[in-house]
Amino acid sequence: MQEKVEAQNILSMNSVEVLYDNVILAIKGVSVQVPKGEMIALLGSNGAGKSTTLKAISGLLKAERGRISRGEITFQGVDITEALAQERVEMGICHVIEGRRVFEHLTPDENLTAAAPRGMSRSTLNAEKDKIYGYFPRLAERKSSQAGYLSGGEQQMLAIGRALVTQPKLLMLDEPSLGLAPFLVEEIFGILQKINKDEGLSVLLVEQNALAALEIVSQGYLIENGRVVMHGTAEALKSNSDIQEFYLGGGETDFHNVKHYSRRKRWLS
Amino acid sequence: MDWVFLSELAINGALTGLLYSLFAIGLVLIYKASSVPNLAQGGLTMVGAYVVLALARDVGLPLWLAIPLAAVVMFGLGFGIERVALRRLAGRPVVMILMLTLGLDIFLRGTTLAIWGGTSRSMELGVSYDPLFFDDIFISRIHLVGAGVALALFVAFMLFFRTRTGIKLRAIADDYMASWSVGISVERGVGLSWALASVVAVAAGVIWGEIQGVDQALSLLLLKGLTVAVLGGLDSILGAVIAGIILGVVENVVSDFLDPLVGGGSRELIVAAVLILTVMIRPHGLFGRHDIERV
Ligand SMILES: Nc1ncnc2c1ncn2[C@@H]1O[C@H](COP(=O)(O)OP(=O)(O)OP(=O)(O)O)[C@@H](O)[C@H]1O
Ligand SMILES: [Mg+2]
Repeated sequence: MQEKVEAQNILSMNSVEVLYDNVILAIKGVSVQVPKGEMIALLGSNGAGKSTTLKAISGLLKAERGRISRGEITFQGVDITEALAQERVEMGICHVIEGRRVFEHLTPDENLTAAAPRGMSRSTLNAEKDKIYGYFPRLAERKSSQAGYLSGGEQQMLAIGRALVTQPKLLMLDEPSLGLAPFLVEEIFGILQKINKDEGLSVLLVEQNALAALEIVSQGYLIENGRVVMHGTAEALKSNSDIQEFYLGGGETDFHNVKHYSRRKRWLS
Repeated sequence: MDWVFLSELAINGALTGLLYSLFAIGLVLIYKASSVPNLAQGGLTMVGAYVVLALARDVGLPLWLAIPLAAVVMFGLGFGIERVALRRLAGRPVVMILMLTLGLDIFLRGTTLAIWGGTSRSMELGVSYDPLFFDDIFISRIHLVGAGVALALFVAFMLFFRTRTGIKLRAIADDYMASWSVGISVERGVGLSWALASVVAVAAGVIWGEIQGVDQALSLLLLKGLTVAVLGGLDSILGAVIAGIILGVVENVVSDFLDPLVGGGSRELIVAAVLILTVMIRPHGLFGRHDIERV
C-alpha cells in the first residue's frame, strides 16, 4: 500500500521542519505530495513558509544557512533529505527561484547554455534550446540581447526556460506571476500547462495569486505560519469560503481585514 | 619637443603597461567569480616565479618544461585554496574573504622566505638584453615578449568566456543562488577561477621575475596591478588590457615631465592619483559593468 503511494508520487515531503541559523523555525512539519505528472499549487500569504518549503526540496536552504531539522523528503522513492542542490538538479528537480533571477549580464541564449547539465552534447543542447524557443517565441526574438534588459515577463520566461534546460522531472516555481500584468500571467501559465501536458512534467507552483494558480493546478495546499492548514482539489479550494474570502478576493472583507486575519492567525498558532 | 623621444616613452610605457595588464588579468578572473579583489595575487605571482625557478634550477629541468609544469602546479594550488580556505567562507561578508586573501599573501611571502630566503634570484629566460631599434626608437625585448604574452592571454580568455565552461563562470559571477538553482557547481567554478588566476600568475611571475629578479618584492606588483584592474573596471579583461596601456603610457610620459621638477619619485604619485581618482570619479572603471537597474 505504502509502496503504491510512493510510486504515484514523484515527490513526497513528510513532516519537514526547517531551521534558519539554527534558531528560526520557518516551517513546522510540512507534508506535501506531488503526484507524478500533475500540477500542484502551494498557496499562502507573505512569510507563510512557501519559499522555504521549495528550498527544502531543492536543497538551496544551505546557501541561506538553513537546514532540515526534522522530517524527510523523497523524490522518485529516493531519500534526498541530505542530498546536495546540484545532485538534486541532476536527479530532475529544478527550482525557479523567487524574483526571476536571470543571469543579467549574459544573453538569453547564454542563460540557457549556462544551465546545460554536465555532459550534455551540443546537439542535445541545441535541440533543448529550440524546444524552449518554441514554447517562448518572445525569447527567441531577443536571444542575443542582454538578459538584464528584458521585460519582467520575458525574464520570467527565461528563468523557466533556463530551468527546462536541466531536463527536470519536477519543476518548482516560486511566485512566477509576481509583478506581471494579468495577460502575461495567463500566457505563462498557459505555457506551463502545455509543457505539463506535452511532456508529463510535474509542477509545484508557489503562488500568492491563488485565483490564477487554482485555474491550472489539480490540487492545492494552503500554508499558514509554517504549517499546512488546508489541502484539497482545486475545485474544492475554489469553493471553500475561507479561501474565497482571503485569497480569491471574494467575500465582503476589504484589504485591511485580510492583513489582520493573517497576522492574527500567525500570532495565535 | 622631441617627438622621437616622446614616442619612445609612450611605446615603452604601453609595453610596461601591458605587463601590468598581464598581472591584472589574474585579479579580474578572481574578481569575476568571487567579487573580491584578490590581495594575494602578488603572492601568487611571486610563488609562480619561485616554482619555475625551483623546477628549473633545483630540479634541473629545461625552462620550456619548467614553465608549463609550474603552471600545472599553480593550477592545483589555486583549486586547493578554494577547497581549503574559501569554501568555509561561503555566505560570509565579502570583507572576510578580502581579509583571507590578505592573510594568504602574507603566508605566501613568509613561505617563500622560509624555503628560498630573501636573496634575489635571476630568472634567465635567455631573452637578449640588447634593445631592438625601430628607426630611432629603442624597445626592450623582454617587455615586448611580456606584452605579447599578455595579449595572447587576453585573446585566450576572451575565447574561453564564450565556451560553455566560460559561460558558466560568468553565470556564477552574476548570481550564486541562481547558479546553484540550475545545478551549476559554484564551488568548482570559483576554484577554477582561482586556478586560472594562478596560471596567469606564473606567466606574470616569469616575465616580471626576468625583469626585476625573483624575490619577495614581486608580490608588490599587486599595487600597480590593482590600480590597473580598478581603472579597467575590476571585472573586465578588456578593461585590464586597456587600463594597463593607459597607466603605462601616462606613468612613463608624465613622470618624464614631473621627475625633473619634483626631483624623482613621481611614478608612485601618478599611480596613486590614477587609483584614487578612478575610485572617486568612476568607481566602475572604464569597462566595469554596472548593476542593471530594472523594476
Ligand atoms: N534566510 C533566512 N533567514 C532567516 N529567516 C528566514 C530566511 N528566509 C526566510 N525566513 C523566515 O522564514 C519564514 C518563512 O519565509 P518564506 O520566505 O519561506 O515565506 P514565503 O511564504 O515564501 O513568503 P513570501 O510570500 O513573502 O515570499 C519567514 O518568517 C521568514 O522571515
Ligand atoms: Mg517566498
